[in-house]
Amino acid sequence: MKLAVRALAGTRPILAAALALTLVAGGFAAWTGLGWYEASHDESAAYAVQRDRALAAAEQAVQNLNTLDHTKVDQGLDLWESSTTGDLHNQLVQGRSEFADQVKAAKTVTTARVLSGAVTELDDRAGRARVLVALRITVKAADDKSSEKDSRMLGELTRTGTHWKLSALGQAPVGGTASG
Amino acid sequence: MSTTRHLLNRQRRRQAVGSQPVPAARASGDTGTEEAPGSASRPPAGSPRAPASPRTRTRTRTRTRAGEAEGARKAAGSKRNEPPERDEGAGAAGTRRGGGKHLAPLLILCALTVVLGAFAGFAQSRAAALRDDPVRGNTALTDLARTSEIKGQAAKAVASLFSYDHAKPAAFESASKTSLTGKAVTQHRALFGDVLAQAGKQKTVITTTVTDSAVERIDGDRARVLIYADQSSVGTAGTEKQTPQDQGVYAGAMLALDLVARDGRWLVEGIDTFGR
Repeated sequence: MKLAVRALAGTRPILAAALALTLVAGGFAAWTGLGWYEASHDESAAYAVQRDRALAAAEQAVQNLNTLDHTKVDQGLDLWESSTTGDLHNQLVQGRSEFADQVKAAKTVTTARVLSGAVTELDDRAGRARVLVALRITVKAADDKSSEKDSRMLGELTRTGTHWKLSALGQAPVGGTASG
Repeated sequence: MSTTRHLLNRQRRRQAVGSQPVPAARASGDTGTEEAPGSASRPPAGSPRAPASPRTRTRTRTRTRAGEAEGARKAAGSKRNEPPERDEGAGAAGTRRGGGKHLAPLLILCALTVVLGAFAGFAQSRAAALRDDPVRGNTALTDLARTSEIKGQAAKAVASLFSYDHAKPAAFESASKTSLTGKAVTQHRALFGDVLAQAGKQKTVITTTVTDSAVERIDGDRARVLIYADQSSVGTAGTEKQTPQDQGVYAGAMLALDLVARDGRWLVEGIDTFGR
């Protein structure tokens, strides 16, 4: 390449200049191309994407599981089942009919709002995550009286395919030992 | 030595065409070198067809006499003479035609430059877009060291800021001075206003322990942490009357802290108790 440049330099300075420009442009293209490749194959970025997906799924699922209208029980419980997987899913399926009867009898409308949520652990490869979701639940009883209570939820998620679903959900124990 | 070989070649060429000037040599810039020694130091009796050796000697002498500038010019000239000698037959016409011959590579190079430049610009913008992605800007969990550092400092801050012992109020005061900043100072004071007003009388002891915490977001020197804590509060006032408050209350609390890094420490900048 150097020889070619030298030979051209003698006879064709314009050609040499053009070649130099091309080489510079090639260098830039290689450099920016590498930067692009690195940016799009960044492992921590992929991890961050999984973290945000898991959190979004967790917040939605926790909200779903704390929302139930006695006039639309079946619809609500279908949503519960589709938001969960594993043991939690099995429990919901088993207790479904009994629970539906209870809600229909109590005539309650439960709604929930996620106050805040965060991921505590994320195992990207195994497809497991643990989350904290702070929840405010409003229960409207049959006599139209509504009560509000805050719930400190601890959830466990499992990835099924590309979706994150709740596999365990519980309240953070009060007065118990610190669970991390 | 290239100069000698080049001279010999020229001699041969001259002999071939007689005493007429050689077009090839003139076109390629040879004239300068030919005339310089000729006018300056050609021996009077010598013909243009003189043998090579004396001429070479003459040349050498000229160079020393005419000085460095002349020598430099000749050096440049002799270098430039090499290519035309190689394509003796092609002559001046071939060199001139080269302008057209080099146009195609020039255009190709220009096109390549444009294409490569365009790709570089595109790649740069794509990479910048990826890097500026807010998902990536949040380094919670992706930066594990920082995440656990923030969790640890937030837990410590909560434990000291939300614990109060009427016997040792100094610890509470110093915690609120050292780990609070900005609007968190007034938020903290508002939360503890009632407690502090009664503390002396009721001999209050509040102990707060963080049970769970998770970092929601880390964006450079700012972070937000969600915290679950256990809070026990006991009024240890005299034994004469035991009001329900004095029995001691054990409760779970949840709050979110906005933290800001200052000099390597994370200070509480905002306390969010979710409207409670």
